[in-house]
Amino acid sequence: MPDLGRLALAIALMLAIYSIGANVFGARRARPEFVASARHAIWAMCAMVTIAVVALWTGLLSSDFSLEYVASYSSTTLPTAYKFTALWGGQQGSLLLWTWLLTIFTSAAAFQNRRRNPALAPYAMAVLAGVAIFFLGMLNFVTRPFDLMAVIPAQGTDLNPLLQNYWMAIHPPSLYTGYVSATVPFAFGAAALITGKLDDGWIRSTRRWAIFSWFFLTLGNLFGARWAYEVLGWGGYWAWDPVENAAFMPWLVMTAYLHSVMIQERKDMLKVWNLALVGLAFGLTLFGTFITRSGVISSVHSFTQSGLGPYFLSFLITVAVAYTGLLIFRAKELRSPAEFESYLSREAAFLFNNLILIGIAFAVFWGTIFPVLSEAVRGVKITVGPPFFNRVAGPLALGLIFLMGVGPLIAWRRTTASNLVKSFAAPAIVGVTTGVVALAAGLRAWYVLTAFSLAAFVLGTIAVEFRRGVGARRHMLAEPAPTALVNLIAKNNRRYGGYIIHVGVIVAFVGIIGSSFFKTEVKKSVRVGQSFSIGAYQLRYLGLSEHDTSHMETATARLEVSRGGREVAELAPAKLFYKREQQPATRVAIRSTPVADLYVVLAGLDDDGNQATFEVFLTPLVFWLWAGGLLMAIGTVVVMWPNVRERAAIAAAVARAAPSALEGEPAPGGE
Amino acid sequence: MIVRATASIPMRPMHAASIACVLAILVATSFGLRRAYGADRPSAQQVSQALTCQCGCGLTVANCNMPTCGFAVPTRHEIRKMIDQGKSQVEIIGFYQRKYGEKVLSAPTTSGFNLLAWTTPFGALLLGGVLIVFTARRWHRAPDPQAPAPAPTDADGSPFDPELRRKLAEDLRKGG
Repeated sequence: MPDLGRLALAIALMLAIYSIGANVFGARRARPEFVASARHAIWAMCAMVTIAVVALWTGLLSSDFSLEYVASYSSTTLPTAYKFTALWGGQQGSLLLWTWLLTIFTSAAAFQNRRRNPALAPYAMAVLAGVAIFFLGMLNFVTRPFDLMAVIPAQGTDLNPLLQNYWMAIHPPSLYTGYVSATVPFAFGAAALITGKLDDGWIRSTRRWAIFSWFFLTLGNLFGARWAYEVLGWGGYWAWDPVENAAFMPWLVMTAYLHSVMIQERKDMLKVWNLALVGLAFGLTLFGTFITRSGVISSVHSFTQSGLGPYFLSFLITVAVAYTGLLIFRAKELRSPAEFESYLSREAAFLFNNLILIGIAFAVFWGTIFPVLSEAVRGVKITVGPPFFNRVAGPLALGLIFLMGVGPLIAWRRTTASNLVKSFAAPAIVGVTTGVVALAAGLRAWYVLTAFSLAAFVLGTIAVEFRRGVGARRHMLAEPAPTALVNLIAKNNRRYGGYIIHVGVIVAFVGIIGSSFFKTEVKKSVRVGQSFSIGAYQLRYLGLSEHDTSHMETATARLEVSRGGREVAELAPAKLFYKREQQPATRVAIRSTPVADLYVVLAGLDDDGNQATFEVFLTPLVFWLWAGGLLMAIGTVVVMWPNVRERAAIAAAVARAAPSALEGEPAPGGE
Repeated sequence: MIVRATASIPMRPMHAASIACVLAILVATSFGLRRAYGADRPSAQQVSQALTCQCGCGLTVANCNMPTCGFAVPTRHEIRKMIDQGKSQVEIIGFYQRKYGEKVLSAPTTSGFNLLAWTTPFGALLLGGVLIVFTARRWHRAPDPQAPAPAPTDADGSPFDPELRRKLAEDLRKGG
């Protein structure tokens, strides 16, 4: 199997190189048979990488310790599910997963465009294959997943205990899917720059890819947060760790792109900006990989001492220079007749939305690299952690939330003062009322008051939008309200799906505010039978039970949770001890309600378990962070849902573009 | 549909000033947040969030999750003790800074070179804002003469968005 894997990766690399040549030659010389051949090479490349993945999985599942990778990240006692996820538990395997996803997405894009975009697609495929060459080059020559051990050990080192968690099965693949699929819009953007076909063809071809990437970046970040929350045991979900930041930045840039692209679709403006954003998003995914694997910035997530940093940095710089060069080269052609009438317009709202999103991304970037700068300039190692990011990004987030309320309700081009009042009076009243109620309820932190008011304001504007739409349908089509609502969403899925996403963001934001500002904690040592309290909860220590397997020892404490004298739950936080690694870990117990999460960590045991120390957090509203995430996911599915009208528009656009697309190209589909 | 005259288009340096004002408010917010963090009796969470764990994990003392961490675990214990002794957040953090140096802080100080860490993001934002204002002004001055006349906005007093109305008409034509 290892030989097969190695061979498959070598062939995949050759196929990638061939497909670049065939694509470019076929497109330049108008030889569609070469483009078709390149497409087949891409599919074959994907098949080869799939074989390599299967080979590594086989090694992991059969505990083949002759493979260095298996010996380093697995063991015979590792539960089977984690042998499976160990594919992305280490350096080489995770790069293999990355490459695999890249070849899958490249194949899908090749399939989608087999009869479309004859002018653009070959170059986009060539760019994608170029990116694949870099990753396959790494896998073939620099960090090989199929390297063998000189001496075959009887047992493997095992997977890092922190990774032995079910989120491990979900979080990295989601995040990687988000990262890697951002390559497709980038490739089409680059192809547009290379070919000079600078209309919005590349945007139309990749709109779904961009949303797809955004969707998985969103999920990847949320799953990561949830994982941190459940596993790390400090009661929080986001630590502004460099690697978290690296996943957050492409999300911010992608969010900016999905908004600014609407201006280009609508008004043919911001061409350079949109091309720059897809380039930036792709560059940031490489930057994130560079951070994770270079050890330049210390992080819990790092694959330490990997030595891959220089390769990623070189590739990143090459991509940045080439792409920027292309942008400058095409700058004249990209100039479009832009017009801007008023700051009270949706264009303006989008421009400032982009400013803030990119502003936050820059602040995160700046904070992430500042320790390196400080060391280079002053020779002093410093840390830039949560207090910095919260203070800098906090106010910006408020600005963004405000624009989220303004943007959708304000008209394109310009709005009159009277319209402004008409549109915003009700939401503004809702917002102010919320603030006043919160103040009356005893909240004094003005950031929180502002945040809650703005959140209510945004929800108000969205409600106004839905009411308008439903009202119009009821009025003109005499539909009953529920039917009108469903039809409204179904027939304008991009717009109303977008609003659902906005509601999700606001709900998540409320969860973040609640959990950041109102968290309380108690640390208590109690003997069996004794109680302590946090908030309205009483917790009584009932006793300890121990469990021993070949893989780990578990000591589980049982706690009776009551509220107002009535038992509401029993929680079982545990201390774990991984035998192979000789490493302790904790398993937290959480009781989640919409009001607050009760989060219990078993911090210590004394006197044979007769005395236990608990660290307990009461975190208000954190439930809504995950609920908001779910809403964002639902909204995104609505947005991506195939829309008949849009498909017809794309078909028409393609038909218009086809005749002039490629001289000498036979009728579409003629392979 | 009659297009009502919009208010004269505001694109004067005044607006650069108003953007600057917004940014000033944002900066003020950030310092307000800082004050909010430094409330009278500090919580152990707040203090340990302001210190970086020295075990090499790169996380804060609050966030280091190693159950047997030789730095985070005893430090959290010490912090609780100091809070019980009535020490303020500033005093506790000062104590650790004297002991371990600047690297123990989880955010840059607000003096010297470190000031760049705090000001650059807002500076960049200001620059971006100014850029938008200038670009918008250019776009406004040189509208394309071939561009079609402005489409009617929903300024005609209709409660319905014209775009919705158009889509509805289309739906009706197709049979809903």
